[in-house]
Amino acid sequence: MQTINKPSLSSLFDDQNLFSSFVEERSWEPGWCADFRMENWNHFESLQSSNVKDENWRFSPKSRFSLSEVNQLNSDVDLLSLSSNTHSKSRFQDLNKMILDFPSEISNIIDLKGPCLGALSNYHLTSALFDNGFFLNTVSGNESREVFTVRHKLPSSGSISFRKNVLTLCPFSEITLIEFIESDHDSNSGNLSSILHAEIGEGAKLNRILIQDAKTIATLHQFENFVIGKNANVTNTTIHLGSSECRTEIKGNLMEEGAEFENFSLFLGCGKQLFDQRTMQFHAAPNCRSNLISKNALNDKSKSVFSGMIKVLPSASNTNAYQTNRNLLLSNEAQADSLPGLEILANEVKCSHGATTSKIDEQELFYLRSRGIPQKSAENLIALGFLDEILAMVKDEELNESIRHKIESRFNNL
Amino acid sequence: MIQPNEFDIDTEKGNFHFDTNYAFNAGVGLNEEVVRYISDVKQEEKWILDFRLKAYQTFLKKPVPTHWATEDLNNIDFDVIRYYLAKGQQPSRSWEDVPEDIKNTFERLGIPEQERKFLAGVEAQFDSEAAYSRMKDDLEKEGVLFVGSTEGLSDYPEIFKKWFGKVIPTSDNKFSALNSAVFSGGSFIYIPPGVKLTQPLQAYFRINAENFGQFERTLIIADEGAEVTYMEGCTAPKFETSTLHSAVVELVALKGAKIQYVTVQNWSNNVFNLVTKRAIAEEEAEVRWIDCNIGSRLTMKYPGVILRGRKARGEVLSIALANDGQHQDTGAKMIHAAEETSSNIIAKSISIGKGRSSYRGLVKMPKHLKNCKNNTECDALLINSDSQTDTYPAISVQGDGNSVQHEATVSKVSAEQIFYMKQRGLSEPEAMSLCVNGFVNDLIREFPMEYSVELKRLIDLEMEGSVG
Repeated sequence: MQTINKPSLSSLFDDQNLFSSFVEERSWEPGWCADFRMENWNHFESLQSSNVKDENWRFSPKSRFSLSEVNQLNSDVDLLSLSSNTHSKSRFQDLNKMILDFPSEISNIIDLKGPCLGALSNYHLTSALFDNGFFLNTVSGNESREVFTVRHKLPSSGSISFRKNVLTLCPFSEITLIEFIESDHDSNSGNLSSILHAEIGEGAKLNRILIQDAKTIATLHQFENFVIGKNANVTNTTIHLGSSECRTEIKGNLMEEGAEFENFSLFLGCGKQLFDQRTMQFHAAPNCRSNLISKNALNDKSKSVFSGMIKVLPSASNTNAYQTNRNLLLSNEAQADSLPGLEILANEVKCSHGATTSKIDEQELFYLRSRGIPQKSAENLIALGFLDEILAMVKDEELNESIRHKIESRFNNL
Repeated sequence: MIQPNEFDIDTEKGNFHFDTNYAFNAGVGLNEEVVRYISDVKQEEKWILDFRLKAYQTFLKKPVPTHWATEDLNNIDFDVIRYYLAKGQQPSRSWEDVPEDIKNTFERLGIPEQERKFLAGVEAQFDSEAAYSRMKDDLEKEGVLFVGSTEGLSDYPEIFKKWFGKVIPTSDNKFSALNSAVFSGGSFIYIPPGVKLTQPLQAYFRINAENFGQFERTLIIADEGAEVTYMEGCTAPKFETSTLHSAVVELVALKGAKIQYVTVQNWSNNVFNLVTKRAIAEEEAEVRWIDCNIGSRLTMKYPGVILRGRKARGEVLSIALANDGQHQDTGAKMIHAAEETSSNIIAKSISIGKGRSSYRGLVKMPKHLKNCKNNTECDALLINSDSQTDTYPAISVQGDGNSVQHEATVSKVSAEQIFYMKQRGLSEPEAMSLCVNGFVNDLIREFPMEYSVELKRLIDLEMEGSVG
């Protein structure tokens, strides 16, 4: 095995024994699962030796994502909890159980693709070392009010958990999926690297909401890949409030006619938080529509990187694709970097992107101040209004209220 | 050898060629000897030779930037290119001194008429050396210098040495390093304080030897309060194999100065046009790049402005037209380095047939600055179903009261518009041409009049046979 001498990398993952002892602990897994892990581990190791400049990491301080502080794996099963609002006929279980009880349902979907937007080495590491995750497979013609909730608790500080989550919506099913990434108490502030594979069948509808409120010392990796079928619809709303640094990669693949993908994200940065977001709207079929809105409000020395690509293949005529990135700088030291991109290979298209970065409008501030609202409250009010467009995507009133409450308390702590 | 392009090149464009006897010839390929040879022929001082040799080492070290740019760059074979050719003559002072065969070539480019009509000074570059160079007496009286790069560095080092290679460092990229090693030709211009030139300075140059790269070097310094417009247009004869053109253009606008740099690029469809252009704008200075790319196989050009003084202003207006077998990879860079600076980028591209046009941009505002503003608009028009367009902007903003807005749209000519015009008796190509001209019209108006007329005609020519 080749030696790895990149000082930025954690010594934990330099150790070949780490992988062999991990696999040994999971000797109950079928052979194909172990093979899959081995393949990804080898991929991960081969990537460590390459040191090319990567456009996919432009503007991002890559070293902050190197997991060099990590000293152990944490595969505690209590860190993942699943619940749903109905006694659903859909299969909703943790992935470990599925591998154990229904290996045939997993074996053919184990190697689903990831978003592949830059953090490849971490993606393969996660694929090699995933310790759990959720599995959700809906039945067709279900009630649209079905809500599934997944809570990912962070492991203890200094350790990391790897997750692989698989979501398949069978044709014409309709669900809401709510995921939380949270630290329960101070000791729960380790790191998490998580992959979501979502396959959306014909005419199906997914409304997914992610609320990330980790302690501000956690390092997070979030990989989300949506493969969207004929006339299917995905609305993906991600709300990032916590973590020290968070890299998210989200790809919407519009593979069949009439597919729709909507991606909304919000990041509220404080302290030295870093939010590195890479997205891709991948149009491979005609008559599809995609829309993306990314809003970042940045306090203190926080930093956001938005890199979004709209890719339209020659086969994707009559595409409508839009992308908007708005950054609000609330301090002089905050930083917003945008890389909005278009690659258009078809001509029957309507595509646009826009990116703006600015501070709070003086006139708006003056208006509120002249009505007796103190400076700080006025600023917070405007910032909240700026984020409202994304918050409005969370239709559940109780949930919406709790997010607003979290945001307000963050502003008050500034 | 260089891979021939899979598309037939346009045989109509600049299809003429006169035999020339190259008195100085550095042979084929590049090594340290060639660099020394060029420097020797030009009888340069030692510091210039050292500059060239250092640049050559940098060129060797730098990788071809295919990690972000197109793989087509790998088709450039640096060993089959001629790096220096010249007629072995001093720049001529009067039209009568210009050799007859070269005059013939220029005759077809229409220079003499333009000269008689309104040009203040003409620096016509034939291959590497300026073959013809003359300035009107009144310009000379004002103290304006308009010379070739060799002359500029040898005769006026006190003016040009200070800024030479300072706006664009040798190590900026592989092609700026290459240019720094083997540069010859180009224009060095100095406008003294307060001198406002009402008529544009103009240079024509063209490539005239197969597999021959042209590496001109331009440096324009506008001293405090000076104003100048410089125009550059090119046309090249038809070749069978690819040619490399790699220029470095540096502009320096001192306090309150204004520089406008206009380019119409129409190389033949086998030329690699890899150009580095950058300007420094001091306090309250204004730099405008007006850039139009119609020809070449691959153009990579991102004119930039470093806004170094308070209230400096930078602007890039760019039109790119990519036809079959062409890739126009153009854009702009705005580096804000002082407070209250503002910049504006308007880029429009048209992709026809299998053409590909890309916009690449960089806008940077660091944290210690206040009240900087940038506006960027990129619009792309796709004509045929295999046309391609990309947009890759990079925006990095910190600081107090800085604001940036970027917008890009991609569209095609709508069927309704075409239908409307066809109904009124226009043929489909005519209607298409009208739409495309309408799309770029507001930018074309910014060009000097004689250029805008020529541009409209060029666009019409490019549109021929693209529809129906």
